Amino acid sequence: MPVFAAALALLHLIGGAALAAPGGDGRVVVEYWEKWTGLEADVMQGVVDDFNASQDRIFVRMLTVSRMDQKMMLATAGGVPPDIAGLWAMYLTSYVENNALMPLDKLAREAGLHEDDYIPVFWQMCRQKGHLWALPTTPTVTALHWNKKMFRAAGLDPEQPPRTLEELEEFNERLTKRAADGSLEQIGHMPQEPGWWTRDFSNWFGGPVWDGGGRLLLDQQPSIDHFRWAATYPQRFGGDDMNRLRGAFGNFASPQNPFFNGKVAMIVQGVWMNNFIRQYAEPDFEYGVAPFPTPAARPGPPVSVADCDVLVIPNGARHPREAMEFIAYTQTRAAMEKLCLGQKKFTPLREVSPGFVENHPHPYLQTFIDLANSPNVRPILALPTVLQYSNDLATYMNLLLLGRLGPDEARAALQERQQRALDQKTERWNRVKDKRLARWRAAS
Amino acid sequence: MTAREKERLRTGLLFISPWLLGFAALTLYPLLASVWFSLCDYSVLTEPVFLGTENYRELWRDEVFWLALRNTVVFAAVSIPLGTALAIGLAVLLNQPVRGRGLYRTIFFLPSLVPAISLAILWQWLLNGSVGLVNEVLQWPLSLVNLVAGTSLRAPDWLNDPSWALWGLVLTGLWGAGNAMVIYLAGLQEIPAELYEAAEMDGANAWQRFVNITLPLLTPVIFFNVIMGLIGSLQTFAVPYILTNGGDGPGRSLLFLATYIYQSAFDYWNMGYASALALVLFLLILALTLVVVRFGEKRVHYAGR
Amino acid sequence: MPDADPIARHRNRWFAVILLVGFSIVFFLPFAWMVSTSLKPLNETMSLPPRWLPSEPQWQNYPDAMRAMGPFWLYARNSLMLALLNVVGTVASSALVAYGFSRIEWRGRDSVFLLLLATMMIPFPVVMVPVYTLFRELGWIGTFKPLWVPAFLAGAFNVFLLRQFFLSIPKDLTEAARMDGCGEFRIFWQIILPLAKPALLTVALFQFMATWNDFLGPLIFLVRQEQFTLALGLQNFQSVQGGTAWHWLMAASTLVVLPVVFLFFLTQRTFIRGISTTGFK
Repeated sequence: MPVFAAALALLHLIGGAALAAPGGDGRVVVEYWEKWTGLEADVMQGVVDDFNASQDRIFVRMLTVSRMDQKMMLATAGGVPPDIAGLWAMYLTSYVENNALMPLDKLAREAGLHEDDYIPVFWQMCRQKGHLWALPTTPTVTALHWNKKMFRAAGLDPEQPPRTLEELEEFNERLTKRAADGSLEQIGHMPQEPGWWTRDFSNWFGGPVWDGGGRLLLDQQPSIDHFRWAATYPQRFGGDDMNRLRGAFGNFASPQNPFFNGKVAMIVQGVWMNNFIRQYAEPDFEYGVAPFPTPAARPGPPVSVADCDVLVIPNGARHPREAMEFIAYTQTRAAMEKLCLGQKKFTPLREVSPGFVENHPHPYLQTFIDLANSPNVRPILALPTVLQYSNDLATYMNLLLLGRLGPDEARAALQERQQRALDQKTERWNRVKDKRLARWRAAS
Repeated sequence: MTAREKERLRTGLLFISPWLLGFAALTLYPLLASVWFSLCDYSVLTEPVFLGTENYRELWRDEVFWLALRNTVVFAAVSIPLGTALAIGLAVLLNQPVRGRGLYRTIFFLPSLVPAISLAILWQWLLNGSVGLVNEVLQWPLSLVNLVAGTSLRAPDWLNDPSWALWGLVLTGLWGAGNAMVIYLAGLQEIPAELYEAAEMDGANAWQRFVNITLPLLTPVIFFNVIMGLIGSLQTFAVPYILTNGGDGPGRSLLFLATYIYQSAFDYWNMGYASALALVLFLLILALTLVVVRFGEKRVHYAGR
Repeated sequence: MPDADPIARHRNRWFAVILLVGFSIVFFLPFAWMVSTSLKPLNETMSLPPRWLPSEPQWQNYPDAMRAMGPFWLYARNSLMLALLNVVGTVASSALVAYGFSRIEWRGRDSVFLLLLATMMIPFPVVMVPVYTLFRELGWIGTFKPLWVPAFLAGAFNVFLLRQFFLSIPKDLTEAARMDGCGEFRIFWQIILPLAKPALLTVALFQFMATWNDFLGPLIFLVRQEQFTLALGLQNFQSVQGGTAWHWLMAASTLVVLPVVFLFFLTQRTFIRGISTTGFK
């Protein structure tokens, strides 16, 4: 038993120091879970500190949480949610249908937040089923990033990005190099690097994969074209060859990122990419940003997918009013610009302070702002079955890009399986719909 | 029942009451509740709604379920024989009269103590396709083969290749063979030396002695270990989950029934479907254990019984 | 061909030594690699071909990794607290239950014991969903309770181990006390328990390891970072790092393994003996 006593004593010792929590001065402690780490978390902490210093009733405590999409649902289901959570917009529908969020219409109205102040696509993303569930923090849109040195080395004009998808594929052939043993040394473009927007890629071929209600549209032309386009890759470059090339890729946030070290010349990325380039790429790295092109047969304003980090108040939060007070604070132009400038992004607000763009460290900020305002910008896919769909899509796409599954087969299987999964959620939703909608209406 | 018997029954039940409570709350109730949930649509955040056999019909046509079932069975079928062979082999080696056995035993045993989380992170690193130690070591024999046979074999990118990921997981499991090894070693030490001496007199060589004496006398221990290994490998979750950074591997090659239960319940919030999957896992364990027990009854050699 | 002759025996022994050394290297290399990586600067972890040793050991990686993991000492405290609670709970409850299954004759005892053995076939993933909903109803999600209260309700495997041990204690030892009118609990407490110390220690060790290593339980029952155990904290660190900082991940992994290895060397004999006995009925 002396061992046990010693262990208890040890426990007591290390426990005492670590447990002291801030905010014990009678202020309401608002617990805020955020998915960000590193620079992005530090910048938000700065905004939180400003807020905490600006008044003496509320203390916001920010905690970094990994796998936020899941942890927050676990906590909400268990009745112990945080007061605020920083979520991704694509999870909103599934959260709303699971009754995990508080509608914010009334609180937002009282705080003086208004639709007209926002770039439309970002406000639109925060609304679901006729109510407001979230408010945006930092936004992004996707764009083509290209490596100018690789363009030059391949005899292409480094200042001239591809204007159509066909042209991109032409460039692709010229930018791809093989070693003597036939293995790939570098490639112009491949859909799986980084492959973060596969869900939304049908938009470049004319439309999304979901009608926003109960139907998946994978059997429509945009998806048919998207999958067939992807299937040309294993044919042209070899599925195993691409996989082997990918196997040698370093991690995203490292100097070995394949875009930084000249393994992939053209990628789809968001506005944050500039930060990683500044931090990890060689100082003389040269890159350009332009809309990712559409097929020549589909001309028109540039296509882009908008995504957004959002703040929500979970159902069962203990301090919703105080939480909203902080959220409203983040929506002020000053706080928002501090946040977005710190993270080197643009803001979801329509109006920016004079000089915001001019003094912004991102050299291509205006390209992103223009894309966000393009008539062809689409909100990121926010299916009620988001995780199921993503997992399935990743599996089928992986097999397709390895050349082990044909495009039409993969797409048909995905449509069939995921339509069933969606039907199930639709049924679930229809059972509770009337009651829910009535309650939300009353709360708004 | 006499008064004395009643008294004993009461005392006995009192002593086992902690277990009875645990059994009722954490085994019996969950099993019954699983049956009920599996017949419902249930997301935890909403009340269960009776659906009938819908979840089971979905199960039947869900190719991901069949894949998870297949992976689970294949993993057990591959890792148990290999693990058993390795553990017995190591135990036999340790049972030889050589110096430093304690040290060897410790080295073989230690990996089996490594927590799943550290084990998985370590192996994720060891199995890294480009800078992993495993491929660095494999490179020597492979280049030799390539040189001699003129082939161009390459070490696989274990955890990113649908055809290799499961084998990577098997490797991590083999590293933990030390626990079973210790049990086999104890079993070997129970075998009377006279048996070997007599066999040697009869001119049996080492292999013959192993097959005719060691293996038969070890069958009770093998039997026990196989059953424990079966139950363990059929519920495998943590290591593949962490190896894949919380996913299910390329082409779902590291998706197991336990993973799919977890995903259905806590990623997709389909508690009903997860319960149906859980019951399948339960029946699978039950069936395979019974098969092994049946098979074992005939073959296990209990000395002196 | 008989190998009773000394040459064959000699040859066999050498063969065994070579194999033992070979396997030892294979089994030890992963550990060596873990520690070696944990002491490398980041750029050397990724170098091609891999470096066996760091150019200069970076001891700083350890404090850095602990800082990067978040509240490391809090995780350690949570793990330790849960492990100790589980040890106390399991040892106490399993011993009581094992006593009821071995030293008291009561009607139906052996059938109930069979039932207990059968529950070993039901692993946690099978009952995870209803157990989660049960704890949710109790308001226990996000607290430590789901991770230690069940330990006080005895585990089948431990009961089995202790029962075997209790059965091996001669009956005369307790009969005399019973004649003198000693109650069962006193017999249990004053006679059986002191005799069963080695077995209890084995159970305690196994339980400590099991709790220390547990991952799935903390994953679904804990939600706040300050409640995470080391295992969950390490997984959290891994998913946040996305497999970039291998030197830190290896340092953190080493730190999680270290207490287990330490405990093993402290209790090696009990440990090995405990495992050895599990294989026999």
